[in-house]
Amino acid sequence: MNMELSRRGFLKAAGAGVAGTTLGAMGFGEAEAAVLAHVRPFKLTTTVETRNTCPYCSVACGIIMYSKGDLRKGEQADIVHIEGDVDHPTNRGTLCPKGAALKDFVHAPTRLKHPMMRKAGSDRFEQVSWDFALDRIARLMKHDRDANFIAKNAKGVPVNRWTTTGFLAASATTNETAYATYKVVRSTGIVAFDNQARV
Amino acid sequence: MAEQSPLQPDPSMVGGVSKAPFVLPPGPLRIFTRRADRFDILASTSKLAPYLNFLGALTRAQASLVATLPALPPPDAAQIERARAAAMPPIDRASLATAPDLATTFDRLFEAAATIEMPAAAAQALSTTRQAEPGMLRAMTANVLADAIPRDSLAPHLFVAAGIQVHAARCAAALDPSTLVPIAVGVCPACGGPPGVSVVVGFSGAEGARYAVCSCCSTSWNEVRVKCIACGSTQGIGYRDTSEPGTTATVKAEVCDHCHSWIKILYQNQNPSLDPVADDVASLGLDMLMRGTDYRAAGSNPFMLGY
Repeated sequence: MNMELSRRGFLKAAGAGVAGTTLGAMGFGEAEAAVLAHVRPFKLTTTVETRNTCPYCSVACGIIMYSKGDLRKGEQADIVHIEGDVDHPTNRGTLCPKGAALKDFVHAPTRLKHPMMRKAGSDRFEQVSWDFALDRIARLMKHDRDANFIAKNAKGVPVNRWTTTGFLAASATTNETAYATYKVVRSTGIVAFDNQARV
Repeated sequence: MAEQSPLQPDPSMVGGVSKAPFVLPPGPLRIFTRRADRFDILASTSKLAPYLNFLGALTRAQASLVATLPALPPPDAAQIERARAAAMPPIDRASLATAPDLATTFDRLFEAAATIEMPAAAAQALSTTRQAEPGMLRAMTANVLADAIPRDSLAPHLFVAAGIQVHAARCAAALDPSTLVPIAVGVCPACGGPPGVSVVVGFSGAEGARYAVCSCCSTSWNEVRVKCIACGSTQGIGYRDTSEPGTTATVKAEVCDHCHSWIKILYQNQNPSLDPVADDVASLGLDMLMRGTDYRAAGSNPFMLGY
């Protein structure tokens, strides 16, 4: 409620002309001062609640992630809790056991954060750049497609199939991303393909 | 064969995911009684105890008023129809100021309030309000209903606002909740009043849903989480609290970087005892700390103006 700022001498009879707050005006200024003295050493901490989509399956449940600290204020943000988004029409606040354990998924030491490559003969993965990874994937796909693409079946009917490579795309995508993914993958002839557009 | 058990499976509880109701109508007797109890509990540990005790007694007077006042006439169907056609809330707050039942409510509340122990300044404000001419009382009522309380008479308006709370909650309780529709962000669908705080509830069927609570008629209505209920923005929402490391605050300030305002949010799903008015007053320290930020308070509570 906004206080009317014009001091128009309303209710002069009340003689209450000094007060800036309801507590002061009501004669509880002492208690008000005690609270003020009590809270003065306290600092405000920032938490953030962020909407997102569960990355596990194509149901794409809505989630709310709670974090301490605000990235927008230049602070470090740490996720402290994740729960279902009650306003999301798909899951209305519910989550399956995998979704309910998302916080551990986020903080897992084995979580995949960069493209990784295990070279032929090596016993471990190494981090590589996105440029390298995408070039390498494109190169290998081209080799495989050139070698195994089926343009016509036994009767000579054009089929344009590429059955030796599969493609799996993520759940937390928009309609537009799903559409573009579908167009790109199907136009190469890939048959083994699953993504959000199936749902 | 054994007789059929009186316990029958309820398939609606299995698998179905319920939709949170849009409106929680106020049960006036229940809310004022619970609020008075909550004020008493909060007063037992708070540095603000004198004020909380006073408001507890005033809220108890509100509750006993609800229990003893004669029933209101049923709401005017034609007026509700007209309001709906114009996308307005069914209770016309402006016309409440002249409602004859409101005058009775004021008389009875002020009479009961006179028996409450209070500082001299408050007692003087009460006697001024009791002796005010009808025209003056109507003007004060209009001020409260217009959310424009003159800075130099906060105390008399507190008693008027307490009376309006009783009357408006009884009017809102008489409405059919299924007929209420959203009016706008941060506007009460029953009376058009501003929210005091918002509450994240934990009761079955709406776990984790957020309800804004009207500071005038105590109707609660569903608002999407992580959204500013002052301007409707979903961008730049953050939360401020005073929790120690490792603990979780149950009363936070929801700040909006879009309109630069803040409003309290109470996590009833963490602490079911939280009351939208009593805990708003008792968490005065948060208001004091927020005064040092560049956010403007958007919550409405006639018991703690000036923050």
